[in-house]
Amino acid sequence: MNNYLNIYFKNIIPLILSFLFISCERDIDIDLGDAGARVVVEGAIESGEKPRILLTRSRGFFDEVPTDSLDFITKTLILDAVIVISDGTVTENMVLVFSNQYPFLFYTTQNMIGQVGKTYTINIQADGNTYTSSTTIPPPISLDTTYFGLNIFNQEEDSLGFVFLKYTDPDTLGNAYRLFLRRNSYPSFLPPGGSVSDDRFNNGLTVEFFSGNPNPPFGNFNTSEDFFFKIGDTIYTKFCTIGKNEFQFFNTLEAAVSSNGNPFGVPVLIKSNIIGEGGTGVWCGYGVTYDTTYAQ
Amino acid sequence: MSLKIRLIILFSALSLANLLAQNPKKNTISGYIKDDSSGEYLIGASVYLKETFQGVSTNTYGFYSLTVPEGEYTVVVSYLGFEEYTQKINLNKDFRINVSLKMKVMETKVFEVVDERIDKNVKSTDMGRVELNVEEMKKLPAFMGEVDVIKIVQLIPGIKSAGEGNTGFYVRGGGPDQNLVLLDEAIVYNAAHLFGFFSVFNPDAIKGVDVHKGGMPAQYGGRLASVLDIQMKEGNNKKYKVDGGIGLIASRLTVQGPIKKDTSSFIISGRRTYLDVLAQPFVSKDSPFKGSGYYFYDLNTKINYRLSDKDRLFLSGYFGRDVFTFKNENSGFDIRIPWGNATASARWNHLFNDKLFLNTSLIFSDYQFESNIEQSAFKFGVFSGIRDYNAKMDFSYFPNIRHQIKFGANYIYHRFTPNNASAELLGTEFDLGEEERLYAHEAAIYVSDDFDVSEKLRIHFGLRGSSFTHVGPFTRYVKNEAGETVDEIKYNRGDKIKQYNRVEPRLMMRYSLDMKSSIKASYTQNYQYLHLTSFANVSLPTDIWIPSTSLVEPQFGQQYSLGYYRNFKQNMFETSAEVYYKRLENQVEFKDGTLQQDQVKDNLDNSLTFGSGRAYGIELFAKKALGKTTGWVGYTLSYTTRIFPELNLGESFFARYDRRHDISVVANHELTKKWTLAAIFVYSSGNLLWMPTSQYFFEGNFVAQYDTRNNFRMPAYHRLDLSATYIAKDTPKYKSSWNISIYNVYSRLNPYFIYIDTSGNPVDGTLKAQAKMVSLFPIIPSVTYNFSF
Repeated sequence: MNNYLNIYFKNIIPLILSFLFISCERDIDIDLGDAGARVVVEGAIESGEKPRILLTRSRGFFDEVPTDSLDFITKTLILDAVIVISDGTVTENMVLVFSNQYPFLFYTTQNMIGQVGKTYTINIQADGNTYTSSTTIPPPISLDTTYFGLNIFNQEEDSLGFVFLKYTDPDTLGNAYRLFLRRNSYPSFLPPGGSVSDDRFNNGLTVEFFSGNPNPPFGNFNTSEDFFFKIGDTIYTKFCTIGKNEFQFFNTLEAAVSSNGNPFGVPVLIKSNIIGEGGTGVWCGYGVTYDTTYAQ
Repeated sequence: MSLKIRLIILFSALSLANLLAQNPKKNTISGYIKDDSSGEYLIGASVYLKETFQGVSTNTYGFYSLTVPEGEYTVVVSYLGFEEYTQKINLNKDFRINVSLKMKVMETKVFEVVDERIDKNVKSTDMGRVELNVEEMKKLPAFMGEVDVIKIVQLIPGIKSAGEGNTGFYVRGGGPDQNLVLLDEAIVYNAAHLFGFFSVFNPDAIKGVDVHKGGMPAQYGGRLASVLDIQMKEGNNKKYKVDGGIGLIASRLTVQGPIKKDTSSFIISGRRTYLDVLAQPFVSKDSPFKGSGYYFYDLNTKINYRLSDKDRLFLSGYFGRDVFTFKNENSGFDIRIPWGNATASARWNHLFNDKLFLNTSLIFSDYQFESNIEQSAFKFGVFSGIRDYNAKMDFSYFPNIRHQIKFGANYIYHRFTPNNASAELLGTEFDLGEEERLYAHEAAIYVSDDFDVSEKLRIHFGLRGSSFTHVGPFTRYVKNEAGETVDEIKYNRGDKIKQYNRVEPRLMMRYSLDMKSSIKASYTQNYQYLHLTSFANVSLPTDIWIPSTSLVEPQFGQQYSLGYYRNFKQNMFETSAEVYYKRLENQVEFKDGTLQQDQVKDNLDNSLTFGSGRAYGIELFAKKALGKTTGWVGYTLSYTTRIFPELNLGESFFARYDRRHDISVVANHELTKKWTLAAIFVYSSGNLLWMPTSQYFFEGNFVAQYDTRNNFRMPAYHRLDLSATYIAKDTPKYKSSWNISIYNVYSRLNPYFIYIDTSGNPVDGTLKAQAKMVSLFPIIPSVTYNFSF
């Protein structure tokens, strides 16, 4: 729901204006000065998994992204941070590891594994500052059903469609969810656009929603085959419960990402749960359940 | 008690003592001043006594009253563009002199300003007040040929256009919600059609415009920055008349005439754009976009009836709508978005005697925005608006020539509808909470006196007491520190939720240095109980009006201004310099990170944060009022800042309305009797924008990071418009003219907005953020044909 409201509010006025006027557009150069780099924490701890933290630095807004991969890594990634994680009783130093999947280079633990109900605190020393945060893994809630359905927006469609999901929200107010999807042999789960929701509008109700295929990291959809699922696909779902602050981060992040480039919107400031000067991002605990859907 | 309030009381006492001490041997001349040809009452016509140079101006209803000692006098009545009327009288009793002024045959065009009784601008206590004559506006260049009152008002120093495509205008550092826009005393909440490209005021239906940008008199209230008081024509009570105009995008038609000659008359005036109609033939019948389009229309009507010499009745109404439709059959998209204003006012003028005039008004005003979207399985609707029921009594009392006393009372019942949404997906309705409406009572009483203390010193002081009460039904969602709803308080219909009572002193004075120059100073204090909340960088029809509540305190404004006025060459040239300083409190903005959808199932004011503002500047103005070439030059230097504890790390930032330099030049030249040429040039510093300062990737998504607010100023805006008006026919039976306008003569590509386009992919190193500037209008010529018979 959030997602629809957001799409509506962000796009309706530009739509009207672009329809009405033939306007002229040209590139301009803007000098905004140097804001100084921020430390961005992309941290997750799932029930039953080791935590993963990717640390990056922000760049000047109009800076070009380095094309050379080594250059990119040294300028963007923070590889010399000291990260200590604690679950309240056990404390562990996190180590940098490499993976052939996104996020490629990240910090993780050697022993600690996420457990439902536990609160995990991190302390990060990076670029001369200290950043802290804590998150709790909420009890997971399973999906009631998942199924494939043809694109409801096109009556003539006969092969492309969405995955439909249904869950029942508990009576208590304040539950929040995040969805990840994986298609066929793609190696990792990805969040679709509008991946988070909370129970403000549907507390205690059974909620049905749908999603297309997620965008790969750094990628853009090229064809509708990328955007939709297709008959014959195997769709893996990872449905997670998350905390309220973590929901607020993703909710504002997704609004900010979807309003990128909207000239009418007041900028969306992202509500991070990372504490420390210039720190942003999220440290998020996930209560995870998995399902598989065969598109037929 | 503050010094200001003490001063006000002192002046009130002085004035009262003066009133009581008046000489009983005085008589009164009073009456109405009308236009002979149409029977329209003339506003601001001057009536003065040649022997003493003392005089008054007619009020909004064309009434004047003048009380002076017995004696022989020559009464002179004058109004711009009309023959002067003189009458010798032996004032040994009260006189009623109703005058119908005749239009001058050979006019020397004087632009814009009404009533140059010797030198009104130098002599009155008015500060920052401008009166505009609509007939003269029609000679200026007009965008797409549509004469626009609000655009011309923006050529006055201190009043700034928010830019092309913006609904609002900014007055001395105030926001667009701080302007009181009145049409026949009814509040117009959104004065724009098509996002501000056109105003809702059809020039054919309008008589005059009175603007107060500083030194707001006590009869006005409820806004901090300015008053734009627009009066509709009453309708010709002598003969039937049709006026019209055919332009490139819109046409106008006005019919007026007597219902009963010299007693009652009507006027009805309509306007509609026809972009949609013109576009129809080019959209093929099979096109999926068939049925898409945009149009606006408005309708003004007014009836007036003279019940007796002492009583007159006016009924007037306005209705206007913008409608945008978009259809795409391929994707099943169907969008319909209508919005607009409706106002109605009934007014009754009553003369108790020669000195006491009363106007009683009952007023309705309404603004609505609606948006409906359907796409096969998905339905979504939003609506918002504000509605007022308003009752007013305004007395004018003219005890003697040295005083003009006004007092009155006003009551408004407001109904606010913030964003209410409904949504349906796959046949399931979403629970988006109950329909939210807010109700409030607003009341005010005021008294003011324009008082000649001595030959040189004239004082206007006023006191306004206002009260605002937010009442039920209402559901308050109570939040904890984390922003979670912890409680819901339900109020029943009529329950008092929060009341504010406030006092607003107003003081203006003029001190004449000599016959040609004066110094004026003013102090005004205003409260505003309404707040316009906007999610956008510009003002849009989607902006939401909300009342003061238990969380939102009334906006408070104080303005100090000081000015020097001087006329040259028998008032051919008028010049002035004014400085002002404003303090604004309880300004509202959305909290950082607020999303528009947060207002669903919540109180909108829970998302607001509060701060204060400062504005200061200097305005220079020089006008040539007489001669074949008339016009003016205005320059403003101004600063406007805001400080909000919860925004921008609590540091002060420049408001969106901050505009460093602003220049406007208006010139009108009567070439021959048939040809008039006119030009407008404007220059203003660019609008401020809030641009991101850094970027990063999160889960592979490009994220823009914002820091200091309003950190980027767009390139300057400047533009030259030219026009030529040709009077094709001018006979008593039929008049017609052509207006040729060229908008943006040198085709300056002015910034409309800037957005950031991110393209490419970081994986292959092609990702780049590029700022793009969008401009709307290049050079646009237009032709309008106006007729009247």
